[in-house]
Amino acid sequence: MQRWTSQALAVPPRAGWQRADLEFEGVEHDGASFVMHVFLNNPGADEATPRTPEQRYAGYLTVFAHGDCWGDVGHCDIPQPVSAFDRRPPHPLISFNATLEITEPLSALPDGVGEIIVTVLAFNKDDDEAGVLRFKQLTLLTYS
Amino acid sequence: MTITARPAPNAAPARLKVRKNIDSLSAQELSDFRRAVNQALDLNDKRGFDYFAGWHGVPFGWCQHHDALFLPWHRAYLYWLELALQSEVPGVTLPWWDWSTVASIPSAYSSAQADGTANVLAKAPIKVFNTAPKPGWPTETSRAPGDAPQVPGPPYQKEWAYAMQADNYTDFNQRLWGAHDTLHVWVGGTMGQVDWAAYDPLFFAHHANVDRAWRIWQTAHPGANPPADILGESLQTDPAMKVSQTLDVTQLGYEYAGTQSTVPGSA
Repeated sequence: MQRWTSQALAVPPRAGWQRADLEFEGVEHDGASFVMHVFLNNPGADEATPRTPEQRYAGYLTVFAHGDCWGDVGHCDIPQPVSAFDRRPPHPLISFNATLEITEPLSALPDGVGEIIVTVLAFNKDDDEAGVLRFKQLTLLTYS
Repeated sequence: MTITARPAPNAAPARLKVRKNIDSLSAQELSDFRRAVNQALDLNDKRGFDYFAGWHGVPFGWCQHHDALFLPWHRAYLYWLELALQSEVPGVTLPWWDWSTVASIPSAYSSAQADGTANVLAKAPIKVFNTAPKPGWPTETSRAPGDAPQVPGPPYQKEWAYAMQADNYTDFNQRLWGAHDTLHVWVGGTMGQVDWAAYDPLFFAHHANVDRAWRIWQTAHPGANPPADILGESLQTDPAMKVSQTLDVTQLGYEYAGTQSTVPGSA
């Protein structure tokens, strides 16, 4: 299991939004498939923590990934366009953004909480302690 | 079934084929479907099962995941494969596995034996199209349902309902691909890896249900199409198909039992 804990993300007052999303940007999917379980303001959450509202469990995302590289050397390297007229489709391993809607779990936090810390527990079949979840940044988006 | 569509201006109305729940297939329908898959597996050219399986991962890698093309690409994929199977056994259609209500892999896909022989829907050989195998490549499909740690298993009733609540394509597509990803990873084995998943016939029962979900949602949200800027985009299949051509299943010649369909009248 890999644990990742975010820095604090600012949360606007509850009256100002109707929906909230956590957006994991630049998620890599070139390894083993994995699942990530997400908690809010529960940095001590671990495998044994019940996935309940009381534990501020926010939900899960599963990533169906490609597995080991099966091609020749360089097959899984993402190439740059070779010219301005390069119309080839995007490389299959380009990272993507994964969205977890957290409207309900975020609403359940005390109003005026001000900020959240996101804890992610990521698991794959290899039971790695690192490298299961690789992504560029996490954004909290609220919508009025 | 009397649902019809008119595929071309001067063509006679054509009867739509109906994709059915795997658990509702008659013994004859299931036997015909297995025969179509077996025959397609015996073909080592572009009519063969392995050629189509190769579109998704090894060796072609044309599939689209985690973006707006996810649903259109897979609809086109199933369309072309289904035609190839119908070339083997006329009238067969891709059955769907309703993982929103069923907790395990259907017996049609899990029983080791069928029709007195090995059940091809449970385990299929992997022969990569026109490519010499490399060390470490799987030679047959595998599954390990429930072995992936901490991955929720079916039925995905809540996930299905959450997707169906979406009021726009972008949300629906994202929510459905989430449930789709979870099922792949829960089944595990070759089904849990993008590059090998489509060699397993179960892949197509899974994706027929994904496609069915889109059809049901479309019926409830007429005009809620993918973003306009991708409608003209060509999907990488053989032959190619534009996103706009995937929007109406009746124009692709099939329908799902249990969903609504609007068809031309008699006048």
